[in-house]
Amino acid sequence: MIGFLRGFVLFFGAMFLQWWWNTHLSYWGAAPQFLLVLTILIAARRGPVLGMLAGFGWGLYLDVARAELFGASALVLTLAAYFVGVARRQVDLRAAGPLAATTFLFTWAAFVGLGLLGLIFTKSFEWSGWISVVSTPFLNVVVVTVASLLWDARGDR
Amino acid sequence: MQRETRIANFVLGAISALTLLLLSLPLSTPVRSFKAGLGYVLNPFAYHGETGYQRVAGSPQRIRQLLRADIENEALRAELRRGEWLATTVSALSLENERLRRALALKTPAGRFPAWVHVMERDPVHWYRSLVVDAGADRGISLNDPVLGPREGRLVAVGRVVDVRPNTSTVLLLTDELSAAAAFLSSGTLEGLVQGQDGPRLRMNYLNAEASLSAGDLVYTSPTSATFPPDVLIGHVARVNPRDPFLTFQSVEVAPAADASSLQELMILRARPLEGEGKPPAYTSAFSPVIVPAAVATSTAAAVSSPPQASTMTVPRPRRRAPAKPAPVQPDDAAAFEAVDPEEAR
Repeated sequence: MIGFLRGFVLFFGAMFLQWWWNTHLSYWGAAPQFLLVLTILIAARRGPVLGMLAGFGWGLYLDVARAELFGASALVLTLAAYFVGVARRQVDLRAAGPLAATTFLFTWAAFVGLGLLGLIFTKSFEWSGWISVVSTPFLNVVVVTVASLLWDARGDR
Repeated sequence: MQRETRIANFVLGAISALTLLLLSLPLSTPVRSFKAGLGYVLNPFAYHGETGYQRVAGSPQRIRQLLRADIENEALRAELRRGEWLATTVSALSLENERLRRALALKTPAGRFPAWVHVMERDPVHWYRSLVVDAGADRGISLNDPVLGPREGRLVAVGRVVDVRPNTSTVLLLTDELSAAAAFLSSGTLEGLVQGQDGPRLRMNYLNAEASLSAGDLVYTSPTSATFPPDVLIGHVARVNPRDPFLTFQSVEVAPAADASSLQELMILRARPLEGEGKPPAYTSAFSPVIVPAAVATSTAAAVSSPPQASTMTVPRPRRRAPAKPAPVQPDDAAAFEAVDPEEAR
């Protein structure tokens, strides 16, 4: 029950954090993707299934705000969780360095994935802008490092 | 691990199929309904989040406003307290001004040097006996000076000075049992002696046993009074005591005109002026009585035979002989005004 409540709070808390940061703290489109970072972190720590479910839910939340490509973010976050699950068999993602590198690569991969989905379904590449594409991976690395430290600080590996 | 992989593959397949369906059919009714339902569930999240954020973000400003309002409130409260104190002071000054204004319009008896004094102290145990005023030898007060008090625009008898100190004096009230003053009733020429009883009422003794007395008659100081000037109101007859067959006179109870509990400013009629104060005002009252002590007995008989007067507080001036040359009233007022101590008038 406690675990369920914790997950509930984490799920909606992350959505709230993403919305609040995007709305009030992002400048020129530069903002960390908390939902992507948490999806990666959950997949790395708890396995791909839980990560995919959380990523799918958070992706739908991101997609609701879109006018087009409803389901794209859900698919991208689900795929990210899946591939992180695959990667964690080969790489120790509990260490900060591999986790940061994975996050960095998956952030760009998410940009590319969203662009390709836009190209496929709307005939136009979904381009987020240079500032976002360049700055977001670094911001995500910072966030995932802090989040993993907090995760470890709770003794929950 | 294999099981987890299988589950992951299955979940990935299901979610991928679902999301591809959503991406492929964005305008279909089920997808739009699903999106609308999802928006219905998740939009309030952002809406209430924004509302809460605005509320929280506005908190510092509201706290500043609250603090500013609190400071302003304190300042206004202090100002209000000052205003209340000012209003109280103004009210008290207004009342005092009204009293003094009426007092200045009062006529003062001739040949006297009036001095307005304030009641400084009174002893609750001896409420009807004496009080202390804030004037003594320094203001020319001397023993047995009559003390009058303003009452509804006229001067009424209050008592006499029995103790003079440098700056204060003790006034023995008429209601003290040791006080006595010769007086007469307004309804006739009946003379008697008004004596205090250590209570709110006075007693007027030695009235003719055959005279017809009635309540409401006004009682004035007699020209035969050793202390008071004549024709100063003492009070009115409150009750006629039943005749005592063993006494050769009647008595009445007199309600004094000066209420001992409301005395604030008093007028002491000094016999001598202070140095540099000048002559006493030339007071030639049209009502100055002619004192004929020997006529008291005869006039008493006349009063007995005369019909009883109406019991009223506004009685025509009694037993007055018309002056040979009536003096105008206005100069008397002016003289009375001049007679008031300038320091008091201020």
